[in-house]
Amino acid sequence: MAQETMIELNRISKHYGRKIALSSLSFVINKGEHVAVIGPSGAGKTSMLNILASMLPADDGEILVDGKPLDSYCDRKSRAQKIGMVRQQFDLVPQLAVIHNVLAGRLSDWSLWKSVLSLLIPQDKGRAIEALDRVGLSDKVFERTSSLSGGEQQRVALARLLVQDPEIILADEPVASLDPARAEDILKMLTRIAAEENQTLVASLHSVDYALKYFSRVIALKDGKLFFDRPVSEVSDTLLAELYSLEGNSQK
Amino acid sequence: MMNFELHKRKILTFILLLAFVWSLLPVDWDKGLLHAGGLAMAGQIFEAALHPDFSPDMIMLALESAWITLAYATAGMSLALVLAFFLGLLASGILAPGNKSRRWLKRIFRGVLSFMRAIHELVWALIFVASFGLTPYAAIFALAIPYGGMLGRIFAEMLEDVPAEPIQALKMTGASAWQCIFYGYLPIVRAGIISYSMYRFECSVRSSAIMSFIGLGGLGYQIQLSLDDLAYSQMWTFLFFLILLVVIIDGWSTLLRRRLGS
Repeated sequence: MAQETMIELNRISKHYGRKIALSSLSFVINKGEHVAVIGPSGAGKTSMLNILASMLPADDGEILVDGKPLDSYCDRKSRAQKIGMVRQQFDLVPQLAVIHNVLAGRLSDWSLWKSVLSLLIPQDKGRAIEALDRVGLSDKVFERTSSLSGGEQQRVALARLLVQDPEIILADEPVASLDPARAEDILKMLTRIAAEENQTLVASLHSVDYALKYFSRVIALKDGKLFFDRPVSEVSDTLLAELYSLEGNSQK
Repeated sequence: MMNFELHKRKILTFILLLAFVWSLLPVDWDKGLLHAGGLAMAGQIFEAALHPDFSPDMIMLALESAWITLAYATAGMSLALVLAFFLGLLASGILAPGNKSRRWLKRIFRGVLSFMRAIHELVWALIFVASFGLTPYAAIFALAIPYGGMLGRIFAEMLEDVPAEPIQALKMTGASAWQCIFYGYLPIVRAGIISYSMYRFECSVRSSAIMSFIGLGGLGYQIQLSLDDLAYSQMWTFLFFLILLVVIIDGWSTLLRRRLGS
Protein backbone atom coordinates (compact mmCIF):
# COMPACT_ATOMS: atom_id res chain seq x y z
CA MET A 1 0.00 0.00 0.00
CA ALA A 2 1.32 3.41 -0.94
CA GLN A 3 2.16 5.57 2.06
CA GLU A 4 -0.34 8.36 1.80
CA THR A 5 -0.15 11.10 4.41
CA MET A 6 -3.44 11.50 6.29
CA ILE A 7 -2.62 13.76 9.22
CA GLU A 8 0.25 16.18 9.48
CA LEU A 9 0.89 18.22 12.62
CA ASN A 10 3.30 21.13 12.28
CA ARG A 11 4.62 22.72 15.47
CA ILE A 12 1.28 22.75 17.26
CA SER A 13 1.22 24.66 20.55
CA LYS A 14 -1.48 25.16 23.12
CA HIS A 15 -1.44 27.02 26.42
CA TYR A 16 -4.03 27.30 29.15
CA GLY A 17 -3.05 30.55 30.79
CA ARG A 18 0.57 29.94 31.81
CA LYS A 19 0.28 26.18 31.73
CA ILE A 20 1.68 24.65 28.59
CA ALA A 21 -0.45 21.79 27.26
CA LEU A 22 1.36 21.25 23.97
CA SER A 23 4.61 22.82 22.87
CA SER A 24 5.62 22.71 19.24
CA LEU A 25 4.34 19.23 18.55
CA SER A 26 4.94 17.78 15.07
CA PHE A 27 4.33 14.36 13.53
CA VAL A 28 2.91 12.69 10.46
CA ILE A 29 0.38 9.87 10.37
CA ASN A 30 -0.21 7.88 7.22
CA LYS A 31 -3.50 6.64 5.87
CA GLY A 32 -4.63 3.43 7.50
CA GLU A 33 -2.17 3.58 10.36
CA HIS A 34 -3.27 2.61 13.87
CA VAL A 35 -1.51 4.89 16.31
CA ALA A 36 -1.69 4.80 20.10
CA VAL A 37 -0.92 7.99 21.98
CA ILE A 38 0.41 7.34 25.48
CA GLY A 39 1.97 9.38 28.24
CA PRO A 40 1.44 10.36 31.85
CA SER A 41 -1.67 12.25 32.94
CA GLY A 42 -1.57 15.87 31.85
CA ALA A 43 0.88 15.17 29.04
CA GLY A 44 -1.46 16.76 26.49
CA LYS A 45 -3.07 13.67 24.92
CA THR A 46 -6.63 14.93 25.21
CA SER A 47 -5.69 18.46 24.13
CA MET A 48 -4.02 17.06 21.05
CA LEU A 49 -7.04 14.93 20.10
CA ASN A 50 -9.45 17.81 20.73
CA ILE A 51 -7.35 20.06 18.50
CA LEU A 52 -7.37 17.38 15.80
CA ALA A 53 -11.14 17.14 16.18
CA SER A 54 -11.27 20.95 15.81
CA MET A 55 -13.15 21.15 19.09
CA LEU A 56 -10.27 23.21 20.48
CA PRO A 57 -8.32 25.87 18.55
CA ALA A 58 -4.53 25.57 18.57
CA ASP A 59 -2.57 28.66 19.61
CA ASP A 60 0.10 28.11 17.06
CA GLY A 61 1.13 25.81 14.22
CA GLU A 62 -0.81 24.14 11.43
CA ILE A 63 -2.62 20.88 10.86
CA LEU A 64 -3.09 19.26 7.47
CA VAL A 65 -5.73 16.59 7.07
CA ASP A 66 -5.58 14.70 3.79
CA GLY A 67 -3.39 17.48 2.39
CA LYS A 68 -5.72 20.32 3.29
CA PRO A 69 -5.69 22.62 6.34
CA LEU A 70 -8.02 21.48 9.12
CA ASP A 71 -9.93 24.79 8.88
CA SER A 72 -11.02 23.94 5.35
CA TYR A 73 -13.34 21.26 6.78
CA CYS A 74 -15.44 23.92 8.37
CA ASP A 75 -18.85 22.81 7.18
CA ARG A 76 -20.23 20.08 9.38
CA LYS A 77 -20.82 17.58 6.59
CA SER A 78 -17.33 17.44 5.14
CA ARG A 79 -15.81 17.33 8.61
CA ALA A 80 -18.05 14.49 9.73
CA GLN A 81 -17.04 12.50 6.64
CA LYS A 82 -13.38 13.07 7.44
CA ILE A 83 -13.16 12.82 11.23
CA GLY A 84 -15.17 10.87 13.80
CA MET A 85 -14.59 10.53 17.49
CA VAL A 86 -15.24 8.19 20.42
CA ARG A 87 -14.47 9.06 23.99
CA GLN A 88 -15.22 7.60 27.40
CA GLN A 89 -18.88 6.76 28.04
CA PHE A 90 -21.19 9.77 28.60
CA ASP A 91 -21.00 10.40 24.87
CA LEU A 92 -24.42 8.95 24.16
CA VAL A 93 -27.81 10.38 24.98
CA PRO A 94 -28.96 7.91 27.65
CA GLN A 95 -32.67 8.74 27.25
CA LEU A 96 -32.81 7.80 23.57
CA ALA A 97 -33.33 4.31 22.19
CA VAL A 98 -30.13 2.62 21.03
CA ILE A 99 -31.09 2.93 17.37
CA HIS A 100 -31.41 6.73 17.56
CA ASN A 101 -27.99 7.05 19.13
CA VAL A 102 -26.61 4.95 16.28
CA LEU A 103 -28.50 6.91 13.63
CA ALA A 104 -27.05 10.15 15.04
CA GLY A 105 -24.11 9.13 12.85
CA ARG A 106 -26.26 9.99 9.84
CA LEU A 107 -27.25 13.49 11.00
CA SER A 108 -24.70 15.25 8.82
CA ASP A 109 -26.44 13.78 5.76
CA TRP A 110 -29.99 14.36 6.93
CA SER A 111 -32.19 17.41 6.77
CA LEU A 112 -33.74 18.59 10.03
CA TRP A 113 -37.10 17.31 8.84
CA LYS A 114 -35.77 13.86 8.12
CA SER A 115 -33.92 13.65 11.44
CA VAL A 116 -37.02 14.60 13.42
CA LEU A 117 -39.12 12.14 11.43
CA SER A 118 -36.55 9.46 12.19
CA LEU A 119 -37.21 9.82 15.92
CA LEU A 120 -40.75 8.60 15.18
CA ILE A 121 -40.10 6.22 12.29
CA PRO A 122 -36.40 5.28 12.15
CA GLN A 123 -34.90 6.10 8.75
CA ASP A 124 -32.06 4.09 7.19
CA LYS A 125 -32.97 1.43 9.71
CA GLY A 126 -31.14 -1.31 7.83
CA ARG A 127 -27.87 0.51 8.12
CA ALA A 128 -28.24 0.99 11.86
CA ILE A 129 -29.16 -2.65 12.41
CA GLU A 130 -26.24 -3.83 10.31
CA ALA A 131 -23.89 -1.66 12.38
CA LEU A 132 -25.36 -2.95 15.63
CA ASP A 133 -25.01 -6.47 14.31
CA ARG A 134 -21.31 -5.92 13.69
CA VAL A 135 -20.78 -4.82 17.30
CA GLY A 136 -22.89 -7.70 18.57
CA LEU A 137 -25.88 -5.73 19.82
CA SER A 138 -28.54 -6.68 17.30
CA ASP A 139 -30.87 -7.72 20.14
CA LYS A 140 -30.86 -4.29 21.79
CA VAL A 141 -31.96 -2.10 18.88
CA PHE A 142 -34.97 -0.51 20.56
CA GLU A 143 -33.80 -0.58 24.14
CA ARG A 144 -33.27 2.60 26.12
CA THR A 145 -29.56 3.37 25.99
CA SER A 146 -29.33 4.05 29.74
CA SER A 147 -30.35 0.45 30.45
CA LEU A 148 -27.19 -0.87 28.77
CA SER A 149 -23.97 -1.64 30.61
CA GLY A 150 -20.86 0.52 30.20
CA GLY A 151 -19.27 -1.87 27.73
CA GLU A 152 -22.45 -2.15 25.69
CA GLN A 153 -22.81 1.64 25.58
CA GLN A 154 -19.30 1.91 24.22
CA ARG A 155 -20.25 -0.59 21.53
CA VAL A 156 -23.21 1.61 20.65
CA ALA A 157 -20.74 4.47 20.21
CA LEU A 158 -18.74 2.22 17.86
CA ALA A 159 -21.90 1.42 15.90
CA ARG A 160 -22.56 5.14 15.56
CA LEU A 161 -19.04 5.55 14.24
CA LEU A 162 -19.70 2.76 11.73
CA VAL A 163 -22.78 4.56 10.48
CA GLN A 164 -20.94 7.87 10.29
CA ASP A 165 -18.07 6.15 8.47
CA PRO A 166 -15.35 8.82 8.74
CA GLU A 167 -11.87 8.38 7.22
CA ILE A 168 -10.17 9.16 10.53
CA ILE A 169 -11.21 7.84 13.95
CA LEU A 170 -10.03 9.74 16.99
CA ALA A 171 -10.49 7.80 20.23
CA ASP A 172 -9.90 9.62 23.50
CA GLU A 173 -9.43 7.10 26.32
CA PRO A 174 -12.09 4.87 24.75
CA VAL A 175 -11.78 2.21 27.45
CA ALA A 176 -10.89 4.30 30.50
CA SER A 177 -13.98 3.41 32.54
CA LEU A 178 -14.23 -0.27 31.62
CA ASP A 179 -12.93 -3.39 33.33
CA PRO A 180 -10.02 -5.20 31.63
CA ALA A 181 -12.17 -7.82 29.85
CA ARG A 182 -14.60 -5.22 28.44
CA ALA A 183 -11.72 -2.89 27.60
CA GLU A 184 -9.95 -5.55 25.50
CA ASP A 185 -13.22 -6.41 23.85
CA ILE A 186 -13.83 -2.80 22.80
CA LEU A 187 -10.26 -2.25 21.63
CA LYS A 188 -10.33 -5.46 19.60
CA MET A 189 -13.55 -4.32 17.98
CA LEU A 190 -12.32 -0.79 17.36
CA THR A 191 -9.10 -1.85 15.70
CA ARG A 192 -10.84 -4.55 13.68
CA ILE A 193 -13.43 -2.09 12.38
CA ALA A 194 -10.76 0.46 11.53
CA ALA A 195 -8.82 -2.20 9.64
CA GLU A 196 -11.88 -3.46 7.75
CA GLU A 197 -12.99 0.03 6.77
CA ASN A 198 -9.42 1.09 5.97
CA GLN A 199 -9.67 3.95 8.45
CA THR A 200 -6.87 5.84 10.14
CA LEU A 201 -7.05 5.38 13.90
CA VAL A 202 -5.52 7.61 16.56
CA ALA A 203 -6.30 6.56 20.13
CA SER A 204 -5.07 7.91 23.44
CA LEU A 205 -4.66 5.24 26.10
CA HIS A 206 -3.76 5.02 29.74
CA SER A 207 -2.52 1.51 29.46
CA VAL A 208 0.76 0.77 27.71
CA ASP A 209 -0.15 -2.92 27.46
CA TYR A 210 -3.17 -2.16 25.30
CA ALA A 211 -1.13 0.21 23.15
CA LEU A 212 1.48 -2.47 22.47
CA LYS A 213 -1.07 -5.21 21.93
CA TYR A 214 -3.56 -3.55 19.59
CA PHE A 215 -1.64 -0.82 17.76
CA SER A 216 1.20 -0.70 15.27
CA ARG A 217 2.80 2.56 16.27
CA VAL A 218 3.15 4.44 19.54
CA ILE A 219 3.45 8.19 20.01
CA ALA A 220 4.49 9.11 23.54
CA LEU A 221 3.86 12.58 24.92
CA LYS A 222 5.43 14.04 28.03
CA ASP A 223 4.85 17.58 29.27
CA GLY A 224 3.30 18.53 25.94
CA LYS A 225 6.33 17.41 23.94
CA LEU A 226 6.98 14.42 21.75
CA PHE A 227 8.90 11.94 23.91
CA PHE A 228 9.16 9.19 21.34
CA ASP A 229 7.40 8.07 18.18
CA ARG A 230 8.20 4.60 16.94
CA PRO A 231 6.76 1.28 15.82
CA VAL A 232 5.56 -1.00 18.61
CA SER A 233 8.47 -3.42 18.04
CA GLU A 234 11.00 -0.72 18.93
CA VAL A 235 9.41 0.38 22.20
CA SER A 236 11.61 -0.72 25.09
CA ASP A 237 10.90 -1.02 28.78
CA THR A 238 13.59 1.51 29.64
CA LEU A 239 11.94 4.08 27.40
CA LEU A 240 8.58 3.43 29.02
CA ALA A 241 10.04 3.66 32.50
CA GLU A 242 11.55 7.00 31.58
CA LEU A 243 8.26 8.20 30.07
CA TYR A 244 6.30 7.54 33.22
CA SER A 245 9.00 8.52 35.73
CA LEU A 246 7.89 11.23 38.12
CA GLU A 247 11.05 13.33 37.85
CA GLY A 248 10.49 15.40 34.72
CA ASN A 249 7.12 16.50 36.00
CA SER A 250 8.41 18.85 38.66
CA GLN A 251 10.31 21.11 36.27
CA LYS A 252 7.23 22.73 34.68
CA MET B 1 -11.64 45.12 61.95
CA MET B 2 -13.57 41.85 61.91
CA ASN B 3 -14.35 42.29 65.58
CA PHE B 4 -15.79 45.71 65.04
CA GLU B 5 -18.04 44.36 62.22
CA LEU B 6 -19.36 41.67 64.53
CA HIS B 7 -19.92 44.26 67.21
CA LYS B 8 -21.90 46.47 64.83
CA ARG B 9 -24.17 43.61 63.91
CA LYS B 10 -25.01 42.99 67.58
CA ILE B 11 -25.84 46.68 68.10
CA LEU B 12 -28.14 46.53 65.06
CA THR B 13 -29.91 43.47 66.46
CA PHE B 14 -30.41 45.26 69.75
CA ILE B 15 -31.85 48.36 68.05
CA LEU B 16 -34.25 46.26 65.97
CA LEU B 17 -35.44 44.41 69.08
CA LEU B 18 -36.04 47.74 70.84
CA ALA B 19 -38.02 48.99 67.84
CA PHE B 20 -40.18 45.89 67.95
CA VAL B 21 -40.96 46.27 71.67
CA TRP B 22 -41.71 49.95 71.16
CA SER B 23 -44.12 49.11 68.33
CA LEU B 24 -46.16 46.98 70.77
CA LEU B 25 -46.79 49.90 73.12
CA PRO B 26 -49.52 51.73 71.18
CA VAL B 27 -51.53 48.53 70.64
CA ASP B 28 -54.85 48.67 72.48
CA TRP B 29 -55.10 45.17 73.90
CA ASP B 30 -58.56 45.57 75.38
CA LYS B 31 -60.93 45.89 72.48
CA GLY B 32 -61.18 45.37 68.79
CA LEU B 33 -57.93 43.47 68.26
CA LEU B 34 -59.86 40.42 67.14
CA HIS B 35 -63.43 40.42 65.89
CA ALA B 36 -65.43 39.47 68.96
CA GLY B 37 -67.55 36.86 67.20
CA GLY B 38 -64.57 35.73 65.10
CA LEU B 39 -63.93 32.43 66.83
CA ALA B 40 -67.58 31.49 66.75
CA MET B 41 -67.69 32.36 63.03
CA ALA B 42 -64.59 30.30 62.27
CA GLY B 43 -66.14 27.45 64.25
CA GLN B 44 -69.26 27.66 62.15
CA ILE B 45 -67.32 27.64 58.89
CA PHE B 46 -65.24 24.60 59.81
CA GLU B 47 -68.19 22.81 61.28
CA ALA B 48 -69.90 23.19 57.88
CA ALA B 49 -67.07 21.12 56.36
CA LEU B 50 -68.62 18.08 58.07
CA HIS B 51 -71.86 18.41 56.14
CA PRO B 52 -71.21 19.94 52.72
CA ASP B 53 -74.23 20.47 50.50
CA PHE B 54 -74.27 17.47 48.13
CA SER B 55 -77.75 18.03 46.69
CA PRO B 56 -78.00 17.16 42.96
CA ASP B 57 -78.33 20.81 41.97
CA MET B 58 -75.20 21.75 43.88
CA ILE B 59 -73.26 18.83 42.45
CA MET B 60 -74.23 19.83 38.93
CA LEU B 61 -73.22 23.44 39.59
CA ALA B 62 -69.96 22.36 41.19
CA LEU B 63 -69.21 20.02 38.29
CA GLU B 64 -69.84 22.77 35.79
CA SER B 65 -67.69 25.27 37.71
CA ALA B 66 -64.92 22.70 38.12
CA TRP B 67 -65.06 22.10 34.38
CA ILE B 68 -64.71 25.83 33.66
CA THR B 69 -61.80 26.14 36.09
CA LEU B 70 -60.09 23.11 34.58
CA ALA B 71 -60.70 24.40 31.05
CA TYR B 72 -59.14 27.79 31.81
CA ALA B 73 -56.18 26.13 33.50
CA THR B 74 -55.63 23.68 30.62
CA ALA B 75 -55.93 26.31 27.90
CA GLY B 76 -53.71 28.69 29.85
CA MET B 77 -51.07 26.01 30.46
CA SER B 78 -51.07 24.92 26.82
CA LEU B 79 -50.37 28.44 25.70
CA ALA B 80 -47.81 28.82 28.49
CA LEU B 81 -46.00 25.67 27.32
CA VAL B 82 -45.71 26.99 23.76
CA LEU B 83 -44.42 30.35 25.02
CA ALA B 84 -42.04 28.64 27.45
CA PHE B 85 -40.62 26.31 24.80
CA PHE B 86 -39.57 29.04 22.42
CA LEU B 87 -38.62 31.68 24.98
CA GLY B 88 -36.80 29.12 27.15
CA LEU B 89 -34.89 27.82 24.15
CA LEU B 90 -33.80 31.36 23.30
CA ALA B 91 -33.04 32.27 26.92
CA SER B 92 -30.83 29.19 27.37
CA GLY B 93 -28.48 30.55 24.72
CA ILE B 94 -27.86 27.13 23.15
CA LEU B 95 -28.84 28.41 19.72
CA ALA B 96 -26.28 31.22 19.75
CA PRO B 97 -23.28 30.66 17.47
CA GLY B 98 -20.72 32.63 19.53
CA ASN B 99 -20.03 33.57 23.13
CA LYS B 100 -20.91 37.21 22.72
CA SER B 101 -24.21 36.61 20.95
CA ARG B 102 -25.02 33.97 23.57
CA ARG B 103 -24.59 36.49 26.37
CA TRP B 104 -26.88 38.98 24.66
CA LEU B 105 -29.50 36.41 23.77
CA LYS B 106 -29.57 35.18 27.36
CA ARG B 107 -29.78 38.66 28.80
CA ILE B 108 -32.62 39.76 26.54
CA PHE B 109 -34.82 36.69 26.81
CA ARG B 110 -34.22 36.22 30.53
CA GLY B 111 -35.43 39.79 30.88
CA VAL B 112 -38.55 38.99 28.88
CA LEU B 113 -39.24 35.92 31.03
CA SER B 114 -38.74 37.84 34.29
CA PHE B 115 -41.11 40.56 33.12
CA MET B 116 -43.76 37.94 32.35
CA ARG B 117 -43.63 36.34 35.77
CA ALA B 118 -42.92 39.48 37.80
CA ILE B 119 -46.58 40.42 37.40
CA HIS B 120 -48.94 38.10 39.25
CA GLU B 121 -51.64 36.27 37.28
CA LEU B 122 -54.32 38.09 39.25
CA VAL B 123 -52.91 41.43 38.12
CA TRP B 124 -52.69 40.22 34.53
CA ALA B 125 -56.31 39.11 34.88
CA LEU B 126 -57.39 42.54 36.09
CA ILE B 127 -55.53 44.16 33.19
CA PHE B 128 -57.12 41.83 30.62
CA VAL B 129 -60.59 42.12 32.13
CA ALA B 130 -60.22 45.88 31.98
CA SER B 131 -59.24 45.70 28.31
CA PHE B 132 -61.23 42.72 26.89
CA GLY B 133 -64.04 42.49 29.43
CA LEU B 134 -65.11 39.33 31.25
CA THR B 135 -64.22 36.82 28.53
CA PRO B 136 -62.52 33.45 28.94
CA TYR B 137 -59.59 34.86 26.93
CA ALA B 138 -58.80 37.22 29.78
CA ALA B 139 -58.40 34.25 32.13
CA ILE B 140 -56.41 32.21 29.64
CA PHE B 141 -53.95 34.98 28.76
CA ALA B 142 -53.66 35.99 32.40
CA LEU B 143 -52.56 32.42 33.21
CA ALA B 144 -50.43 31.86 30.13
CA ILE B 145 -48.16 34.85 30.56
CA PRO B 146 -46.80 34.40 34.12
CA TYR B 147 -46.81 30.61 33.79
CA GLY B 148 -44.97 30.88 30.49
CA GLY B 149 -42.43 33.02 32.32
CA MET B 150 -41.92 30.48 35.11
CA LEU B 151 -41.82 27.43 32.86
CA GLY B 152 -39.56 29.21 30.38
CA ARG B 153 -37.05 30.08 33.03
CA ILE B 154 -36.91 26.54 34.42
CA PHE B 155 -36.76 25.16 30.87
CA ALA B 156 -33.82 27.46 30.06
CA GLU B 157 -31.99 26.37 33.19
CA MET B 158 -32.53 22.68 32.49
CA LEU B 159 -31.18 23.16 28.96
CA GLU B 160 -28.12 24.93 30.29
CA ASP B 161 -27.46 22.09 32.74
CA VAL B 162 -27.39 19.45 30.00
CA PRO B 163 -23.96 17.73 30.17
CA ALA B 164 -21.54 18.89 27.49
CA GLU B 165 -20.23 15.47 26.41
CA PRO B 166 -23.23 14.06 24.50
CA ILE B 167 -23.78 17.39 22.74
CA GLN B 168 -20.14 17.61 21.72
CA ALA B 169 -20.32 14.05 20.45
CA LEU B 170 -23.39 14.93 18.39
CA LYS B 171 -21.58 17.92 16.91
CA MET B 172 -18.71 15.59 15.97
CA THR B 173 -21.13 13.45 13.99
CA GLY B 174 -21.98 16.58 12.03
CA ALA B 175 -25.26 17.52 13.67
CA SER B 176 -26.55 21.08 13.25
CA ALA B 177 -27.73 23.20 16.17
CA TRP B 178 -31.36 22.18 15.68
CA GLN B 179 -30.43 18.52 15.23
CA CYS B 180 -28.54 18.75 18.54
CA ILE B 181 -31.73 20.09 20.12
CA PHE B 182 -33.85 17.18 18.88
CA TYR B 183 -31.27 14.42 19.43
CA GLY B 184 -29.57 15.75 22.56
CA TYR B 185 -31.12 18.56 24.54
CA LEU B 186 -34.80 17.63 24.29
CA PRO B 187 -34.51 13.91 25.13
CA ILE B 188 -32.24 14.75 28.07
CA VAL B 189 -34.55 17.37 29.61
CA ARG B 190 -37.83 15.71 28.66
CA ALA B 191 -38.59 13.92 31.94
CA GLY B 192 -37.68 16.96 34.03
CA ILE B 193 -39.79 19.27 31.89
CA ILE B 194 -42.80 17.00 32.01
CA SER B 195 -42.72 16.55 35.76
CA TYR B 196 -42.22 20.28 36.38
CA SER B 197 -45.01 21.14 33.94
CA MET B 198 -47.36 18.76 35.71
CA TYR B 199 -46.58 20.44 39.01
CA ARG B 200 -47.24 23.82 37.43
CA PHE B 201 -50.47 22.52 35.92
CA GLU B 202 -51.63 21.70 39.41
CA CYS B 203 -50.73 25.25 40.49
CA SER B 204 -52.55 26.68 37.51
CA VAL B 205 -55.79 24.94 38.54
CA ARG B 206 -55.58 26.69 41.88
CA SER B 207 -54.71 29.99 40.20
CA SER B 208 -57.57 29.57 37.78
CA ALA B 209 -59.96 29.05 40.68
CA ILE B 210 -58.65 32.15 42.46
CA MET B 211 -58.84 34.24 39.31
CA SER B 212 -62.52 33.59 38.99
CA PHE B 213 -62.97 35.62 42.19
CA ILE B 214 -62.91 38.66 39.95
CA GLY B 215 -66.00 37.39 38.16
CA LEU B 216 -64.63 35.10 35.45
CA GLY B 217 -66.74 32.08 36.38
CA GLY B 218 -65.49 28.80 37.80
CA LEU B 219 -65.01 27.42 41.30
CA GLY B 220 -63.62 30.59 42.82
CA TYR B 221 -66.59 32.59 41.69
CA GLN B 222 -68.99 30.09 43.27
CA ILE B 223 -66.97 30.01 46.49
CA GLN B 224 -67.20 33.77 46.69
CA LEU B 225 -70.98 33.75 46.06
CA SER B 226 -71.53 31.12 48.80
CA LEU B 227 -69.39 33.11 51.24
CA ASP B 228 -71.39 36.22 50.52
CA ASP B 229 -74.59 34.27 51.20
CA LEU B 230 -73.09 32.83 54.40
CA ALA B 231 -73.89 29.41 52.85
CA TYR B 232 -70.85 27.63 54.26
CA SER B 233 -71.97 24.09 53.48
CA GLN B 234 -72.28 25.10 49.80
CA MET B 235 -68.85 26.70 49.93
CA TRP B 236 -67.39 23.43 51.15
CA THR B 237 -68.93 21.57 48.21
CA PHE B 238 -66.91 23.76 45.85
CA LEU B 239 -63.79 23.54 48.00
CA PHE B 240 -63.98 19.75 47.96
CA PHE B 241 -64.26 19.80 44.20
CA LEU B 242 -61.19 22.02 43.99
CA ILE B 243 -59.26 19.65 46.26
CA LEU B 244 -60.44 16.72 44.16
CA LEU B 245 -59.19 18.37 40.97
CA VAL B 246 -55.74 18.97 42.46
CA VAL B 247 -55.54 15.42 43.83
CA ILE B 248 -56.50 13.92 40.46
CA ILE B 249 -53.85 15.96 38.64
CA ASP B 250 -51.26 15.01 41.23
CA GLY B 251 -52.10 11.35 40.75
CA TRP B 252 -51.85 11.71 36.99
CA SER B 253 -48.44 13.38 37.24
CA THR B 254 -47.17 10.62 39.53
CA LEU B 255 -48.31 8.05 37.00
CA LEU B 256 -46.62 9.92 34.16
CA ARG B 257 -43.39 10.29 36.06
CA ARG B 258 -43.31 6.59 36.87
CA ARG B 259 -43.81 5.73 33.22
CA LEU B 260 -41.01 8.06 32.20
CA GLY B 261 -38.82 6.24 34.69
CA SER B 262 -37.20 9.32 36.17
